[in-house]
Amino acid sequence: MADLGPDDVLRLAASLSLPLNGEDATEIAHRLNAFLDALAALDALPLERVELWPTRPDGYA
Amino acid sequence: MSTAADDLAFAGAARQASLIREKRISPVELVTTYLDRIGRLDGRLRAFITVCSESALAEAERAQAEAATGAWRGPLHGIPFAVKDQLDTAGILTTSGSALLKGNVPSEDSTVVAKLRAAGGILMGKLNLTEFALGGTLRFPYGQPRNPWNPEHDPGGSSSGSGIAAAAALCSLTLGEDTGGSVRSPASYCGAVGLRPTWGRVSRHGCFPAAWSMDQVGPLTRTVEDTALVLALIAGYDAKDPTTSRRAVPDYRAALAAGVKGLRIAVITELVDGADTQAEVREGVREAARGLATLGARLEDISLPLIPHAGGVFMALCDSEAAGRHKLWLATRPEEYDVGTRRRLVAAGLIPAVPLHRAARARALIREQILEALGKFDLLLAPTSPHPAPAITFHTAPVTGKEEAARRFFGRRSYTTPASLAGVPAISVPCGFTAAGLPIALQLMGRPFAESTVLAAAGAWENAAGLVGRRPPLAAS
Repeated sequence: MADLGPDDVLRLAASLSLPLNGEDATEIAHRLNAFLDALAALDALPLERVELWPTRPDGYA
Repeated sequence: MSTAADDLAFAGAARQASLIREKRISPVELVTTYLDRIGRLDGRLRAFITVCSESALAEAERAQAEAATGAWRGPLHGIPFAVKDQLDTAGILTTSGSALLKGNVPSEDSTVVAKLRAAGGILMGKLNLTEFALGGTLRFPYGQPRNPWNPEHDPGGSSSGSGIAAAAALCSLTLGEDTGGSVRSPASYCGAVGLRPTWGRVSRHGCFPAAWSMDQVGPLTRTVEDTALVLALIAGYDAKDPTTSRRAVPDYRAALAAGVKGLRIAVITELVDGADTQAEVREGVREAARGLATLGARLEDISLPLIPHAGGVFMALCDSEAAGRHKLWLATRPEEYDVGTRRRLVAAGLIPAVPLHRAARARALIREQILEALGKFDLLLAPTSPHPAPAITFHTAPVTGKEEAARRFFGRRSYTTPASLAGVPAISVPCGFTAAGLPIALQLMGRPFAESTVLAAAGAWENAAGLVGRRPPLAAS
């Protein structure tokens, strides 16, 4: 997947009504691309094997 | 040179409570000692956002009068404590470290503060933190907190002031809040003891949320015994927090006597021997592991290959939860956030749903791997941090690319976030110092609700290591 740039970030943020300046957008693009890479790497894990049970304080055996 | 006042200030809260009971010291003497230290040291350290001088002295006088008549409120009678400014305090400014809350004065105490007060504790003040307990603050609106072992270095976060105040003896004990390491990180960097309890063990009522599925309030103190003392007072069911457990609260101090003999402890190789772990930290933690074996524990290495994913998974889940909570303010008052907080929250708010769901499933896998390991072992052992406290300037350098962002924001978090993702208890306890004189720390994770085992092992190590009593140069007379 191609990295997102500051202009992409500004458009995404505008779609959520989040005002951003250009300086913020550049760093946010770096952070967001880091997230997308880290989360894409999770595809190699057997993610479908586990159930997303909620965390319950007394749910532990 | 040590003075009697310094010796009293650095004594553990349990010891101070005994001295008050024996009428060898008075609550007024203790509060006055700490107010003097805060006056001398906190202009530089910036542990406190608010110091409650007048009310603390008034409460100390009342506690002294009650002691004279034998009317004891509880185990903390006359003991001065301070809490992270994320925790509500009735009638006292509570900022969560943000300019957005510069006028916020709650009408009710958080449950944990109410419990410490009911036990006889005296609130000394509110402690500095990274904005909204999120970490990565570039400009602290209430002053730059500094590490008492070297003021050019970071004290850790987000419970920065709690770590400083405990280590520099600015009060008897403190409370912090740990979402992904926010109690353990400042404990590690400042040379204090810090415990993240099991998720659901301690009420979060009146605690400004960072990420609801991982937030936990925990003590930061100078000794393991004090951490056990405080946990016993703040743990337990609270009707105001539906996530709290109804399980009985054990006598954690009594449990310390069990020690570590016969416990099976697994050393997580990905964290102890990982490429990110600095040599002095690795050697210190390995030495501590050998020390625990000498005390009778059975040590083995274990590989938990999902652990390196923990930092990225945690950040995606924690920050997206936080971004949801802050959406309105980000849209309407963005300039009032610190720039580091704003960028962190907006970045997480833009993560698409499918990768975020992948992170949630990965969390379940990581939790499963940790709980499986804890089925075979009593405790998991790792460094709290891959390195000692970095220079403050480390955090203020610009982020120049995605690789650097991943290294800076995800890498070190893989050390503390496994316990957060799994909801298990974890303690940070000092295990030595670098050649430059900065503390390094050992982390012990336990089974859900097995805080007694975690504390007993940490206490045994603390007694054997002989590190209690070392005082930061800046905090000494």
